[in-house]
Amino acid sequence: MNETTESPAVKLTGLTKSFGANQVVQPLDLEIGRNEFFSILGPSGCGKTTLMRMITGFETPSGGSVELDGKNVDSVPTKSRDLNMLFQSYALFPHLSVYENVAFELRVRRTPKREIDGRVQDALALVRLQAFAERKPAELSGGQRQRVALARAVVGRPAVVLLDEPLGALDQKLRKEMQFELKRMQREVGITFIYVTHDQEEALTMSDRIAVMSEGRVLQVASPTEIYDAPASRFVATFIGSCNVLDGAVSADGRGVVVPGLGELNAAVPADARPGSGVTLAIRPERVTLSPATTVAATAPLGGVAGTLVERVFLGDEWTFHVRLDSDVVMTVSVPSGQAAAALGAIPDGAPVLLSWAAADARVLPADGSTTAAPSSAPLSSEVSA
Amino acid sequence: MDRLTSWIARAVFLFLYLPIAALIVYSFNSSEVSYRFDGFTFRWYAELFADRMLLEALRTSAVVGVIAALVATVIGFLTAFALVRFRVKGRAFFVGAILIPLIVPEIVLGVSLLTVFSTAGIPTGLLTLVLGHVVITLPLATLVLMGAMSSLDPSLTEAATDLGASPWVTFRRVLFPLLRPSILAAFLLSFTTSFSNIVISTFTAGVGTTTLPLRIYSTLRTGLTPELNALGTLLVVATLGVILAVGVSQMRRILAGPTTTP
Ligand SMILES: Nc1ncnc2c1ncn2[C@@H]1O[C@H](COP(=O)(O)OP(=O)(O)OP(=O)(O)O)[C@@H](O)[C@H]1O
Ligand SMILES: [Mg+2]
Repeated sequence: MNETTESPAVKLTGLTKSFGANQVVQPLDLEIGRNEFFSILGPSGCGKTTLMRMITGFETPSGGSVELDGKNVDSVPTKSRDLNMLFQSYALFPHLSVYENVAFELRVRRTPKREIDGRVQDALALVRLQAFAERKPAELSGGQRQRVALARAVVGRPAVVLLDEPLGALDQKLRKEMQFELKRMQREVGITFIYVTHDQEEALTMSDRIAVMSEGRVLQVASPTEIYDAPASRFVATFIGSCNVLDGAVSADGRGVVVPGLGELNAAVPADARPGSGVTLAIRPERVTLSPATTVAATAPLGGVAGTLVERVFLGDEWTFHVRLDSDVVMTVSVPSGQAAAALGAIPDGAPVLLSWAAADARVLPADGSTTAAPSSAPLSSEVSA
Repeated sequence: MDRLTSWIARAVFLFLYLPIAALIVYSFNSSEVSYRFDGFTFRWYAELFADRMLLEALRTSAVVGVIAALVATVIGFLTAFALVRFRVKGRAFFVGAILIPLIVPEIVLGVSLLTVFSTAGIPTGLLTLVLGHVVITLPLATLVLMGAMSSLDPSLTEAATDLGASPWVTFRRVLFPLLRPSILAAFLLSFTTSFSNIVISTFTAGVGTTTLPLRIYSTLRTGLTPELNALGTLLVVATLGVILAVGVSQMRRILAGPTTTP
């Protein structure tokens, strides 16, 4: 074991993969730290599994290299890499008991006999399945199988465990429980977890850092709060949580963003933005303040926008209001249920309202060349709010 | 209606098992002709064990059957693994090609095998018999194993590799235990196919390597003897023994599942 604290657990350099003419992972560089809970988040088919399989060695990269703990492993076969994978199907050996499934790696790697039992018991204790040691996988529930798979993956104390959508097959309630369990176990065993998911909520709650992927490219790598509060692109903004996006251009004085049909809006324009350059404005629904248009005269906030309340949707913990702006774009505003929402109850549907936000909450993102189409569909298509 | 179908079922049952019952009964018949039952005797069994030619043929068939079935099962396993697991180029072609020996009339296969052997200067004998029988049993074994393998989760072998197992250890600890019933089925199917084959054997057997079916067929000229009934009875008993052995171990597997809870 090379214990230099500098070398990251996993380092990918220019790693890329093509299947025939189809480049499914664009060349990417990534460093994952020791004991980090690192999530890879992206829509279906963006190359997450392929990336994982290149790290494990199941798939040979078309280019670039993989380093584990500072050592290049390009010519090291899967069985000799100091990492384990937790498969989405769990891949438990159906003919072996829970105990033997967990002991598999120790037996194959010829761990001394007297050590095996203690380590298997420890691993089973970690996932709280000691009482199930003699069962066959077929006699376990989905959540229990998932935990056996985890015990089997960590029993050999690998430096890295890769988890490919491990909670995908579980129901909503069990998922929530297992999210906390996984996080607890990761802290207990002190192993780097690389966690693949297409569930943004899961990634936000569990990760130390998140890499957002789309079409084989890593778009942003950052902490959950940074990904949420400071998305680097329109894709990240709308993929993580819901987000209102408006296309416009930096105003002449460089202090706001001019959106066609709405005028100049309040925004956090970066100092180096060129006046007149095309940008996308991204505003989280919960950062928008909704007020009845009648109060405009009294408290007209700077840079507010007028609109018409189209409808409201009750989601339990919050209300979502859809407001049609003068430019025909529909913006989403979310208000926690309770007093604030109750105060807005008096506004009838169809009434004129005013939307406002703090400049710092309106992120200015580079305009996506491809998305000059009306942005109205974006907020409506991502209604589930984080 | 119900009564009718149950009568039909009984008739079918009778039709299937009457010949076997007759075989067993007449193997103990002291008369030399089969239309009369004169009394009980072990004479035909004694004659059978004195018939060197017939025993020699039985031995040849058993040896050829075991070797051909072993070869077919091993190669069939590897072929099935390659076709199920890897995106081999021209996979569909290979799967189709494997089926062809099952469809081509055996007589055609027999003629072409003999042509190949005589062109290559291989004298007919044990080797050519085994090769000929592998041609017809390999497709069967491959098909049986392909079916079983494609129902296995492909990530099982990857998981084993990931946990440090070499290909051999993966086979021994994961694939073999899970596929054992199908491997056994492939072997037995190949063996019985080889054991009862007559057409391919006609072309590939040489002097001194006459198989049992060929031997029996040739005695037709001199007329069937009750000795053959005795042989048939012994084969039926052996078959029952195999079925029971496999059946019992299968039963144990099935029962072993839910009873391992402490
Ligand atoms: N062996 C393969 N041969 C050809 N194409 C492949 C192969 N494996 C994956 N692909 C393609 O590569 C792309 C990325 O696949 P991948 O499985 O990595 O996606 P993913 O992000 O894991 O998706 P999901 O969330 O649905 O699991 C897909 O378009 C897929 O069709
Ligand atoms: Mg995947």
